[in-house]
Amino acid sequence: MWNKCSASNEVDNQSVQFRVLSGSQCRRLYNAVLEVLEHTGVEIFCEEAVDVLKKAGCWVDGARVRIPSHLVERAIATAPSRVVLSDRNGARRLFLEGNNSYFGPGPTNPTIFDLETGERRDVLKSDVCQAARLTDALPNMDFVMSLACISDCTPGLADVHEVHAMLQNSIKPIVTWAYDLQNVDTIISMCEAVAGSAEALQKNPFVVVYAEPTAPLRHSREAIEIMMYMSKKGLPLLYTPGVQGCATAPASRAGVLVITAADNLAGLVINQLVREGAPYIVGGVTTNMDMKTMIHCYGSSPEFSLMHAAMNDFIHFLNLPGWSTAGCADSKLLDEQAAVEYTLSIYTAALSGSNLIHDCGFLETGLSGSLEALVMADEIVGMVRSIIRGIRIADETLVLDLIDKVGPGGNFVSEEHTFDNFKKEFWLPRDINREIFRQWAKKGKTTYAQRLNARAKQILKDSQPSLLPDEKLRQLQALVDRAEAAKAH
Amino acid sequence: MDLSNIYDSVINGDREQIVQQVKNALSEGADPDVIISDALIRAMDEVGQRMKDGDVFVPEVLMAANTMKKGLEVVGPLLKGEKRRSAGKVAIGTVEGDLHDIGKNLVVMLLESAGFEVVDLGVDVSKAKFLAAIEEAQPDIIGLSALLTTTMTTMADVVKAIDGRVKTMVGGAPVTEEFAAKIGASGYAPDAVTAVDMARSLLV
Repeated sequence: MWNKCSASNEVDNQSVQFRVLSGSQCRRLYNAVLEVLEHTGVEIFCEEAVDVLKKAGCWVDGARVRIPSHLVERAIATAPSRVVLSDRNGARRLFLEGNNSYFGPGPTNPTIFDLETGERRDVLKSDVCQAARLTDALPNMDFVMSLACISDCTPGLADVHEVHAMLQNSIKPIVTWAYDLQNVDTIISMCEAVAGSAEALQKNPFVVVYAEPTAPLRHSREAIEIMMYMSKKGLPLLYTPGVQGCATAPASRAGVLVITAADNLAGLVINQLVREGAPYIVGGVTTNMDMKTMIHCYGSSPEFSLMHAAMNDFIHFLNLPGWSTAGCADSKLLDEQAAVEYTLSIYTAALSGSNLIHDCGFLETGLSGSLEALVMADEIVGMVRSIIRGIRIADETLVLDLIDKVGPGGNFVSEEHTFDNFKKEFWLPRDINREIFRQWAKKGKTTYAQRLNARAKQILKDSQPSLLPDEKLRQLQALVDRAEAAKAH
Repeated sequence: MDLSNIYDSVINGDREQIVQQVKNALSEGADPDVIISDALIRAMDEVGQRMKDGDVFVPEVLMAANTMKKGLEVVGPLLKGEKRRSAGKVAIGTVEGDLHDIGKNLVVMLLESAGFEVVDLGVDVSKAKFLAAIEEAQPDIIGLSALLTTTMTTMADVVKAIDGRVKTMVGGAPVTEEFAAKIGASGYAPDAVTAVDMARSLLV
């Protein structure tokens, strides 16, 4: 299902939005990042990338690479300011540009809450099929992630099997991860098979692969190799360090932004040197480490949302597509705490006008997922999108003629204008309850969590995934088999 | 003799005062052993308890430990007879393919502050390197850390190769008690604070 008005933050029209950083603050942050890259430098554990950087004029000392500012500026100039993601059929759907915001689930959680038993257990490939089908049917979820690091497959092939499951159960664009170069090649080969050719996928990409440097300022071989592979292919790569104030970054909100931006721009330089104009999405999960439990905070940290929003101001300043995180919780289950965490993070992310917003359906600091929670996130995104849309002031919306016609003491319920507009102007809940007490009691006094569980089951029962032709399914299976055979050796 | 100012400095992480306070106590005739046991170690034990109670945060614990160390540096050389006994020796690293070391570094800091001798093997440590460390460093415990679900699986290999010659402890965000039991590790700790207790209990 597609929401006709997916883009939630259309600032070009009058829209509700906010800024955390001013233009001059972004400029100062940018100069700080350039200084870190030029003076402190980063560690790159990939010889091919180090060679490329050295040839371009970086100062290299072993793995330590110091990047002159002009190379960073050139990379920003050559990277496309927009990336358009298509659906599986090649229809252009997600316009990652300006302040358009799109939402989707998260990846790599080792556990999930079983929809039937409520038990928290290891994630299976069948769960990815369900998560993809559910995401496909939810009107406010715009892209698919696996909501899993599956356990029931050959070790080291979870990423391949997850994409195999997602491709068959949703037509929405896929954002995914990969263990290494070999697996990303299998994953892209699968997507090319579905698209029909490498060029077809490049023209209308429906997959984004993300790679993660190891903050602070350290880039693993695997991350760089995945990134360079995508760059060579001319396919969208998302680079996303996990940066934690007090741990992998200073105990300073601005310091977290510096590390996040520095690691991203170091990645961008390599990406653009490998192939000028390769699509690149600026990521980063900005948060703080809790100094009591030492967990990597998700939605329970207000600064998590604030710093993501600030990072997106910076990304807008660079005029590149950006990434954010919301609809995720540190709560261990779908409860009141989770609802607070989801709501605040989703609202802030949408206000920030970030292009791709992931991690909906996460619980337990990203270690667990929940399909009910994904349904809740979808409903919250719906509410938030209604707010972000703002209020249009125009003759048609001021409707003075109608006000004059109805006059003092009249009512508008039976007016044709109301009939035509009530659904467009006012958000309608799906599982958020507005019934009077007696109605609600008569229907079993359900909690929101119970209704979300029932809704998730019902959507899965009713939804019909758009099936791939048998020929494509065979091609996908052959690629999976080939990856399995390679692992067996 | 009143050593409460030294005790308080450790608790408050006051690194400015501690050296002079210990020197003063010594010049007033305090027994070095007593300074250590009644002020420095007792204060650190109190900080550890407060951390478990959730009253202090990890940076405060680390600062208290640094303060205690500064005090020990003054008083340690004056000890008669045997040196202060270490709580045990731990060699620790992140497993092959994993560069994420913030968790491992926390465990190192907290073990050291609890009186353990720690050999930090660094990141991306191969099975061979872990095995070599057993010969070279003669640790009581080998600690293995992983953040990634992929690299986690290599822990099983290393634990198997160590084959019970020394105790093994595993940890990291995706690691669970069940996983630790399955691969035959001697101990598992969900976080750095618990890792210290686990290390202690393994050496009883």
